[in-house]
Parts: sequence; C-alpha cells; structure tokens
Amino acid sequence: MATTVSELDRSGAEDEPRSAEPEEDGGNGQAGPIAAAQQHRLAKLPLSRIKALMKADPDVSLASQESVFIIAKATELFVEMIAKDALVYAQQGKRKTLQRKDLDNAIEAIDEFAFLEGTLD
Amino acid sequence: MAEKPEDLNLPNAVITRIIKEALPDGVNVSKEARRAISQAASVFVLYATSCANNFAMKAKRKTLNAGDVMSAMEEMEFERFLQPLREALEAYKKGQKGKKEASEQKRKDKEKKNSPGENDKSRDEEEDEHMDDEQEGENEGEEEDVEN
Repeated sequence: MATTVSELDRSGAEDEPRSAEPEEDGGNGQAGPIAAAQQHRLAKLPLSRIKALMKADPDVSLASQESVFIIAKATELFVEMIAKDALVYAQQGKRKTLQRKDLDNAIEAIDEFAFLEGTLD
Repeated sequence: MAEKPEDLNLPNAVITRIIKEALPDGVNVSKEARRAISQAASVFVLYATSCANNFAMKAKRKTLNAGDVMSAMEEMEFERFLQPLREALEAYKKGQKGKKEASEQKRKDKEKKNSPGENDKSRDEEEDEHMDDEQEGENEGEEEDVEN
C-alpha cells in the first residue's frame, strides 16, 4: 500500500493560500474552513462530510481537526484495502468486474472486516 | 437538520476514484459493489469514531484527538494503517502550520496596506474575520465544535 504523502500532494507546491474562501463556520459545521482549505491536498474525502458522520454519534462532543483528518485518511485506506481484497474473489471467479458478492466474500473471510457483517443493505 | 447515519454517504465520485486507483487497469466495478463499498466506508467512519471516542473518554477528555484515532485503528486491527496515517498526519500538520503562517503574513500585509489610509475595501473583509478565528484556535489540534 504505497500511500505516500507525496503521492497525494499533487497540487504540488507552494501555491499556498489558494484559499479561495474560507467560509465562516456558522455553527452548522457543514462547510467549514476545513473543507475548503484541506480538501485539495491531503485528504480525498471531504472533511465536512466525515465530521458530519462523526457528529451522528451522540457520545461524541468535540473532535480536533486532526482527528477528523485522520479518520478521513483511514477511511481512504480502508476503501483501498477492501477493494483489493474483494478483487481476489473476482479473480478467482475469472472475472474482471468486481461484484457485490466479492465484497460479501471478503467481509466474511477477513477478520478485520467482521464489523461490517450485517451492516450493508 | 436531523441526519441519520444511514443518510450520510460519502461522495460517490471520490469513492469511485479511490477504488479505481487501488485496482489495476482493466478492472471494473459494478454499481452494486461500489455502493456497498461506499456504505462500508460510512460504517467504518462510525465504528472508528466510536472506538476513538472510547479512548478519549477513558482519558477523561472531551475532545477526540488524533492519538485516539490511532489507538482505535490498533484496536480495530488495522495496524497496517498506522504508519501511513502517521506520515499523513505529519504532512497535514506542516500544511496547517504553513497556512497559519500564510494567513498571519497576509494579515500583516493587510495592516501595512490599511495604514496609508487606502480605501480599498474590496478585499475580503470576511477573510479578516475568519483569520481572527484561526488565531484563536489552539495550535495543536484546533477544536472543531462537534457538539450535539
């Protein structure tokens, strides 16, 4: 899994404040400065959406920006991992198209994915 | 706006891109598989958050931090993520620092500009306010108000 940072930092460079415009977070938390500022760099998934998901947990009160970023990044790694693991099953079936059943097989077979059992439609 | 966890999906385009980049060329992904992966990703976020939050609560902190997330990854048996996550975090922190310095610099420049009495108000007054907020934010882990 070569997810090196340099790979992600494609907008390459010193063009720092391209901050078009940091929208003020009016308390809604939907599109805060984080979404605008960081999205084009290190996280592919929008931090605002990640944060919204985190907020769905009633036990969560506050979360640092870093934690939101790390969860976004971890989720990206997770997607990569599950796609690759599912691919193995497609290949076993001599297919070049990943199908839902490949996902199901991967979930059943791989310990780390146990938490997904029964959660998908 | 009461959003149920089930309603919160991650953007399809991004999920698709991540999948495509992870798989070799020539491999396709069915719509159902993509949808399932997207759902799984949302579940992952919820599970990771819950796990991380437990660590924060154990430490009697109200704010979930990056360390909690790392601990959660270990607990969830995703140790393989730890190294890339640490690297990403470093890069992110540097980026944050750069932005902060950049906005401080902007602010200084602005002050210089404003003093000669220029009436050029065109530039982002908003930005100015925003910077105030940023200044107040703590260095390490500016807190996002995730209050319920």
